[in-house]
Amino acid sequence: MSILAERRRAEFEDEALIHLDALFGLALRLSGGDEPRAEDLVQETMLKAYRAWDRFEAGTNCRAWLMTILRNTFINQFRKQKSRPVPVEFDQVAERPASDALYEADPAGRIFDHIIDDQVISAIDELPEEFRVAVVLSDLEGLSYQEVAELMDIPVGTVKSRLFRARKRLQGRLYEYAVEMGYVK
Amino acid sequence: MTECGTPPSGAERPGEPNLSCEEALARVYEYLDGELGAAEHDAVRRHLAKCRNCYPHFDFERLFLDYIHELGAGEKAKPELEDRVREMLAAETD
Repeated sequence: MSILAERRRAEFEDEALIHLDALFGLALRLSGGDEPRAEDLVQETMLKAYRAWDRFEAGTNCRAWLMTILRNTFINQFRKQKSRPVPVEFDQVAERPASDALYEADPAGRIFDHIIDDQVISAIDELPEEFRVAVVLSDLEGLSYQEVAELMDIPVGTVKSRLFRARKRLQGRLYEYAVEMGYVK
Repeated sequence: MTECGTPPSGAERPGEPNLSCEEALARVYEYLDGELGAAEHDAVRRHLAKCRNCYPHFDFERLFLDYIHELGAGEKAKPELEDRVREMLAAETD
């Protein structure tokens, strides 16, 4: 192993490994809480990034660069899965229509200061994949509708409707938790 | 969807549309996500400035989105994952 290769690896490890938690966090949410899948995704991302390290511009945002590689790696897998049978969407499962029950019960949104984050994370993880991925990319990662549409290969209008339905579904779960906690009646 | 009943008001500014509550609420997420064009964004903003019913609803949705956005951080990868990545990089360097 050459000194040059060794130095390159050390440099990559210094720059990239500090972002492992952030990468794992994104991978875990994209894969719906599936830890082994998330870890595989992080490893694949790191390998791709290492192979492409010479193309990374020193001084630019390494975290953003790694997150982009992870997103693209996940999306490639996601698109391959699209050839599978149509995923179960909200229409096909017994569910109440989108409601504003939470807003009506707690218009000031005080619940957001009291809810346990893990419960909401579970609710995100349980969303059907097509909806979860849209929420994670948009609401956790802050991508624009256009960016989500391009990544998921769907029209912008579909991004909008998925976000709307996913967010209302999450609010529905929050409402249920709020009732369970005795926070609202 | 909550009906707050404000009908489109008269043309306060000729040429600029005035939104009903239903129309404003239909755009709540696009507005908060910064995804509306300038004219539409402005139309929603003008509606909110005068609608006591819609403004709290938009505020609530903003709190909700802020809350979801904050959820992303805080996960910790297991130390074994870092070990595996280091091993993988070493193998790749050989």
